[in-house]
Amino acid sequence: MIAALNGAFDDISKAVRLHRVWVALAHEDIGDQHRRTTLGPLWMLVNYFAFVGTFVFVFVTKDASDPSYIAYVAIGMLVWFYLTETITMSVSLFQREASFIQGTTLPLFVYVMRLTMQCIIRAGYSLAGCVLILLLAGYGINSNWLLSLLGLLLIVVATPALVTVFAFLGAFFPDSEFIVGNLMRVGMFLTPVFWVYSGQEGVQKYAYHWNPFTYFLEGVREPITAGIFPTHALTVTGYVCLGVWALALLLLGLYRKRIVFLI
Amino acid sequence: MTSIKLNNVSLVYRLFEKLTLSAPGRRRSALGGNISKSGTKQVVQALDDVSFELKAGDRLGLVGPNGAGKTTLLKVLYGIYQPSGGTISIAGKVDALFNISIGFRPEATGRRNIVLRGLISGWTLAEIEEKMEEIIDFSELGDFIDLPFKAYSQGMAARLAFAAATALEPEILLMDEWIGAGDASFQEKAKRRMDELAEKAGIIVLASHDESLIQRVCTKKMTLRAGRVESLT
Repeated sequence: MIAALNGAFDDISKAVRLHRVWVALAHEDIGDQHRRTTLGPLWMLVNYFAFVGTFVFVFVTKDASDPSYIAYVAIGMLVWFYLTETITMSVSLFQREASFIQGTTLPLFVYVMRLTMQCIIRAGYSLAGCVLILLLAGYGINSNWLLSLLGLLLIVVATPALVTVFAFLGAFFPDSEFIVGNLMRVGMFLTPVFWVYSGQEGVQKYAYHWNPFTYFLEGVREPITAGIFPTHALTVTGYVCLGVWALALLLLGLYRKRIVFLI
Repeated sequence: MTSIKLNNVSLVYRLFEKLTLSAPGRRRSALGGNISKSGTKQVVQALDDVSFELKAGDRLGLVGPNGAGKTTLLKVLYGIYQPSGGTISIAGKVDALFNISIGFRPEATGRRNIVLRGLISGWTLAEIEEKMEEIIDFSELGDFIDLPFKAYSQGMAARLAFAAATALEPEILLMDEWIGAGDASFQEKAKRRMDELAEKAGIIVLASHDESLIQRVCTKKMTLRAGRVESLT
């Protein structure tokens, strides 16, 4: 166990030293995806506006005039898009990086950080859109935004661990790419991204309380929409973060040298 | 002092039965090689009891039929595969020429691809800058260097990949087949570059099916068969 953890930390520290590699590759990835388009990466902002607008103005018309609901959906979508993209792309990570893994000695964590960086850059565009929506909805910048940033920071800290765990899952269980993809699509409706939980019984109650994603969302959302410090949400998110990191370190330590034989 | 020492190195992969929802008959292993059963598990014995020692100035040619373990041995020496038994001791900076086009991005310019390739190879930004003009000159791409890689002809792409891949100063050089690129005149230049590279490297390990090449370049020859050393001369 100790040897495994040492191996994991060694891989991570080597990858951190090679930060120029994954930062450069992530930028190239983003650039390549929009290279020939007129708007370039701004398409990510457009996509975000389209989704938030659709949910606010089309699906939930009765609440559309409520600025707190607009903020609720805008922040919910920001966090959900980030999580769903990170997780679904992680499952096929090692397959996509097969030629690098089989042809170079780069540490495995370089690929984890490459995807993490990519997801963070993409989320940056949605974040700009979210800030704009919040300002237009009448939420002036105040100290509560700092509490929200704390929630975002926790999610960012959890990201490399989430990527690692789902990347190993995809390597050992290739079918998981489709299973996870479908679960995340369904998950949007089982997570309070655009619906508001106000003490209902039944499925919504369980989907709210027993869904870890709820706490990822609420940790960012509550400070701005409810003006409170999200103690419970941040505590649960913190525990989830610790658990996922423990699992990620274990997987990295035990299996990083075997991945090359699996892909 | 540059050296390589392998003692009873073996590499056994367990063939992971990937968890899958497909019918058992459709499951297939990801690897070839010498597959055998160990209890209920399938294992591949890729290298078996390989021992040899090389010192500065040695040029080792690896020969053997397909599946003999030549590429596997190179990847063990490079550190991509971790041996499952035996010991390896290597003194010196190891570089490898396995896939010279690895990491090249079609949308990026030639210049940007040199930077990316350098970063992947572990060069510092200063080293990349230092080698940049030399790589561009060697590849003879001229103004094309600032066009996207996808706009290059096959020959131009090969020239850039070759120039970037061979702009290294290894103490130990591992090669899976001798590489060449481009038209007749560039091939001559590439041959000279490879000769220089071989000359500069302290130790070379070259896997090839070309016996005459092995005779020309190498001072030692190791024949592998089914992962075992058949002869070392």
